[in-house]
Amino acid sequence: MPTDSGGRHRIVYCVGEERPLRDLLPASEAAALLAAAARAGLHGVRIVDPRGKDLWGSGDDVPPAAEGSAARPILIEGEPAGGVVLPAGAAGGETREALLGLLADTLTAMAHNNLKRMLTTETHTEVVNRSYEEILETNRNLAASEQRYRELAGTLEIKVRERTEELSRAMARLVQQEKMASVGQLAAGVAHEINNPLAFVTSNLRTLKKYTDRFLDIIARYQRVFEQGGVAQQDRDDLRKHRESLRVDAISEDAGDLLRQTLEGTERVRKIVADLKGFSHVDEEGEAPADLNREIDRTLSVMTHEIPAGAGIAREFSPLPVIPCLPGAFNQMFLGLLRNAFQARQEGLRMTIRTGVSGDRIRIAFADNGPGVPADLRSRIFEPFFTTREVGKGKGLGLTVAYDIVTAHGGTIDVEDTPGGGATFVLQLPIRRGSHDQIR
Amino acid sequence: MIEYDTEERRMILKFVYYGPALSGKTTNLLRLHDLLEKEGRGDLMVLDTKDDRTIFFDLLPFFLVAPSGLKIKVKVYTVPGQVQHDATRKTVLQRADGIAFVADSRRTETKNNAESFANLERNLSIVGIDIDRLPLVIQYNKRDLPGILPEEEIRRAWGPTGFPVILSSALEGWGVVETFRALAERAYDALDRRYDFAGAHGLTRESFAERLVRRSG
Repeated sequence: MPTDSGGRHRIVYCVGEERPLRDLLPASEAAALLAAAARAGLHGVRIVDPRGKDLWGSGDDVPPAAEGSAARPILIEGEPAGGVVLPAGAAGGETREALLGLLADTLTAMAHNNLKRMLTTETHTEVVNRSYEEILETNRNLAASEQRYRELAGTLEIKVRERTEELSRAMARLVQQEKMASVGQLAAGVAHEINNPLAFVTSNLRTLKKYTDRFLDIIARYQRVFEQGGVAQQDRDDLRKHRESLRVDAISEDAGDLLRQTLEGTERVRKIVADLKGFSHVDEEGEAPADLNREIDRTLSVMTHEIPAGAGIAREFSPLPVIPCLPGAFNQMFLGLLRNAFQARQEGLRMTIRTGVSGDRIRIAFADNGPGVPADLRSRIFEPFFTTREVGKGKGLGLTVAYDIVTAHGGTIDVEDTPGGGATFVLQLPIRRGSHDQIR
Repeated sequence: MIEYDTEERRMILKFVYYGPALSGKTTNLLRLHDLLEKEGRGDLMVLDTKDDRTIFFDLLPFFLVAPSGLKIKVKVYTVPGQVQHDATRKTVLQRADGIAFVADSRRTETKNNAESFANLERNLSIVGIDIDRLPLVIQYNKRDLPGILPEEEIRRAWGPTGFPVILSSALEGWGVVETFRALAERAYDALDRRYDFAGAHGLTRESFAERLVRRSG
């Protein structure tokens, strides 16, 4: 037996199956007709199957038909499928013959119509059943498909979240790089602008000092000559008064100091500009060997104005091997860490920067005595745009950038408690880089 | 094969006229009914239609008796051509012994013909009939209309397939009996391999085809 899509055996309705006369002429319909025929004169008329076996009778109790009895066929689909017979020995006659023929034709038409009706109904039912089964199957497939999509949607959300975090990080790093790049460019531009006038200011000042020295020299000479005599008393008094009103003595003393200090000032400006250029490493691109101690110092020197008043910064540096790195990036990172400490605590800030080598790694610790980082926030502080500061006072990128720079180098950054209170940020950097990881 | 009752010595075969809607399947059967002798066949049974379009099927039965006494009944069916009656087509197609594919010769019907043939292939596979072994003849009907494909084009398209192609106009009454005969002969070949009509039943191919297509008048 064929099975349907559910594996169940089903009786397949086959269009074309033969049907016996018995099925096509229900007793109820046949009986009425036979009774009428009997009344009309066909006593004992019967319907028989192709073998001659009785199917229905008119109700009269008569002996069965025998060979040679009058008979007419009933046709189904053009083939004899049975017939009507009169009982043996029944009277013949034209009328009877005609009646029998009429009966046969009527039963043929009746069977034909019933057959049509049954075929229509059965085909229709079959079609409906098939369609229903097909719909069930489609429904099953759709449900399975929906299930798959739901699972996919679930994991999709997770994947999207992960990717978004990745992208946020990368974005934050890019933003910071951009900023630093433009700052670097600005610094270089400004430095260049400043250097030019600074150069001739310095040079002129030096020259001016030389001139001043000469002026003072000749004035002193004049004074000595003047004191020794050769000038009228009246003139001497006038000159002395004028000298006092001009405060020449004070000016002579002061002039030297002024110029000296001014020259020192220009020297400082020159140094600041040089530090700024050096800090942003704007002239270098790509990796360069760097002494991290020196880089930390550079960073500190450009940040002097940000250091809170009265803060104490202790530098406990051990000699560090020179390592290839992106010095600009590392300075960015140090700047961020230092700035965090300066903003964590203003009054009474004590910072210790400790550097050293531990095994195959360089270890740098920035310890402050600020409020510290609560344990539950420790995993979050490196997230992009995460900040505990109020609006306008920090975008929350500093530690993200630090994290990215350190991990790109193959190192780690962690936060611990400073003994006695505060946060200590510990950087560990491999001296020799193995795999150079990209930002995750 | 619908049935083979060895006890009763009765074999019932099924031919199906398939094709796109309004290609002339029912008209084919009407013509066969008119053109062929009444003896040895039944009347055309047309089940309910809707606006004269087949919803279920049409049936024209033929009977013959082989010299051996084997009674062979050939039931010829049409299927509804409209797209929505696909379930009915599958139902009628079951156990078919031969197919006559009635195509509309008009160029504008090319797509419909192709889709209907693809539908036939699909449904044969679904009801478990091997299309490579099923007797199949192609009829390009409606040759009386304008805008029809020229014969060479049809022969060029169908030549490589090996199926017999018969041109016809069921409306005008030609090509219809030829199609039926071609189908009968093909069906005989397929069945003879299994049932040895010639040897066991004394029924030749000629004789089989002749009995079915006895023309009236």
